[in-house]
Amino acid sequence: MDKETRDMLLETADRFFAERAGKDVVNGVEKGVWPKDLWKEIEEMGLPLIAVPEDKGGAGGTLADMLAVMRLAGSHAVPVPIAETALANMLIAAADGVPATGPSTLALGDVVFEGNRLSGKVDRVPFAAVADHFVTVANAAGRPMVAVVSASNASINEVPSHAGEPYGTVTFDNPPCEFAEVSPVSAERAIELAALMRSMQMAGAADKVLATAVEYCKQRVQFGRPISTFQAIQQMLAELASFVAAVIASAEAAARDADEGGLADGGRFSIAAAKSQASEFAQRIAAIAHQSMGAMGFTHEHILHHYTRRLWVWRRDFGSETFWGEKIGSAFAKAGPQALWPSLTASRYAE
Amino acid sequence: MSIPKLEFPPFHLPPEAEALRHEVRAFLKETLPKVRSEDRFASWNTFSPQFSRELGKKGWIGITWPRKYGGSEKSFLERYVITEELLGNSAPAGAHWVADRQSGPLLLRFGNEQQRESILPRITRGECYFSIGMSEPDSGSDLASVRTRAEPVPGGFRVNGTKVWTSGAHRNHYCIALVRTSGQHGDRHKGLSQLLVDLKTPNITIRPIINLAGRHDWNEVTFSDAFIPESCLIGNEGDGWLQVTSELAFERSGPERFMQNYYILRELVRVLGRQPAKRGAAILGRIIARLWTLRQMSVAVAGMMQGGKSPAIEASLVKDLGTIYQQDLPEIARVLAESDATTEEDMADFLDVAQYATMMAPSYTIQGGTTQVLRGIVARGLGLR
Repeated sequence: MDKETRDMLLETADRFFAERAGKDVVNGVEKGVWPKDLWKEIEEMGLPLIAVPEDKGGAGGTLADMLAVMRLAGSHAVPVPIAETALANMLIAAADGVPATGPSTLALGDVVFEGNRLSGKVDRVPFAAVADHFVTVANAAGRPMVAVVSASNASINEVPSHAGEPYGTVTFDNPPCEFAEVSPVSAERAIELAALMRSMQMAGAADKVLATAVEYCKQRVQFGRPISTFQAIQQMLAELASFVAAVIASAEAAARDADEGGLADGGRFSIAAAKSQASEFAQRIAAIAHQSMGAMGFTHEHILHHYTRRLWVWRRDFGSETFWGEKIGSAFAKAGPQALWPSLTASRYAE
Repeated sequence: MSIPKLEFPPFHLPPEAEALRHEVRAFLKETLPKVRSEDRFASWNTFSPQFSRELGKKGWIGITWPRKYGGSEKSFLERYVITEELLGNSAPAGAHWVADRQSGPLLLRFGNEQQRESILPRITRGECYFSIGMSEPDSGSDLASVRTRAEPVPGGFRVNGTKVWTSGAHRNHYCIALVRTSGQHGDRHKGLSQLLVDLKTPNITIRPIINLAGRHDWNEVTFSDAFIPESCLIGNEGDGWLQVTSELAFERSGPERFMQNYYILRELVRVLGRQPAKRGAAILGRIIARLWTLRQMSVAVAGMMQGGKSPAIEASLVKDLGTIYQQDLPEIARVLAESDATTEEDMADFLDVAQYATMMAPSYTIQGGTTQVLRGIVARGLGLR
């Protein structure tokens, strides 16, 4: 979509998330209340189909368009699988399928497709307990397959995430598939794309943590003046801003590289680096924000934890800094010191 | 919420800059082995007139300046590529570094025609080197408190005072000194001016200040009734503060703020061998990810500057993050090498350079604006002060 259309969409989505996915909705999900009106409106706005071609019922947006919306979703802690569904639908459409309606999620991991039978077990599947469809990219004999399984045909063990979202373990024991086609996106690549999506959500959440801490410190009066006027607090928040900036910059650069390089393999190194970076700095961001906001930020009453807890969960989703760091480190070590600089400047894995 | 958005719009260096990168790499591959240098590791802190002259012959110093002053009228982004390639290949680029980065641009912007004509072409040939004359014994982060006094006398100024931490003053040709030309010590930003000081001027004494690693980079430069001709005033008398702050922007935003000890990372890759254990690979990969991020941020800032913006807060954030990364790197590398290096021999070499990197690390968050001063700038940008 052109820049004007995208800006308009982002503005609308921002306002919509602020109005309809507020504190009570987020807290409700933690108590097990599925916000069905919110999901219905998200579907009416076409957000889960944002990166699906128009001839398959979507909005015809790019990966970058989708990711920009997910950064916003992250900045509002939208407590439904909007990102998972949007990416799942993109993967289905890429395999020439037409996405179904309803919330979907990504069950990516050790799943095998053999002789038209799907089997495997995936831990920590986001929104496993509320999704209508599980979408996976499975390794079949030499070629990846996108498969969609109805929730009623999978075995789900709910294990809520530490952010209170209904994550769970999903087991496939040869269920019938709603859809199964050869995928232009490999199983490994699907995890990369999911990691990129999370990095953008983390960028949004990190941005919100900074804004929340800054606002709080400007309001909070101690010793007769707002604590934001104390140098100790100013230095902390400036340091916080530097970590937030790093997460935003790396996620945006990876989104650009993935979009420009194509769905099948664009921005592979950039995505790994961005997710490693976001996951590594999540703790520093949460730690400084909490310290600056004292006991109030540690309460359930305040919204800060909607974002810091998500950062702590999201840093593990679709590969932590250890997972992605190992991929990067192994490749660069194998290629040796001479390849380091040329690869860094080209944003590529060293070869 | 009302806080300004932190954005680093992803930016691609243009094709002409990437084409230049290949030329620079080819040149360095051929030239570096021929350049005598004991400590190439120090890169932009290593003084090699021979190397600077070779680079000058290629037209790669002052590349953005007008042709009539020896420049090539290329973009700021092409300069960026040259700079990062010098750092990424540990080239001994210290002799001309400050002149190319800030003194030349300052003269171009505020200097008079005679100053530009006599000095800029020599800088571009790699023959003329500059020191920074800002800090004083009682004036560091609080730069507006400078006491060095330039008293107007017939035909020029009589200068008295002391500058410190003056890198390279013992071998450079000039220093741009921030001095008080009118008013009193407490007048702060008013009454300051910048002077182009020939370091061979009589009544200027240059004494070494040895740093903790035993290196002589710094000097103390004392003016005792030194006469500086009127023609050496840069810009207008009294505009020194405005000029010096524009100079600081050049000083803070470049890749040298996260590439200064890049060699440690390269050496770490070497000593870890081709197949490190999982844990070592993960730690290495995480550091590489941080460096990649810093480069993306720095390139984004360069893109904003090329687009006519002045991203002072973003530049401060890059320097803050970049210098903290540079302080983390030798420590992470040392501990990792101790547990994961493949051979004893590699390890001995590595510990030697790592030790040097550790000793240099405290300087990163002090030079070019302390972390605390930078965070003050960022805090102002966040609306906190």
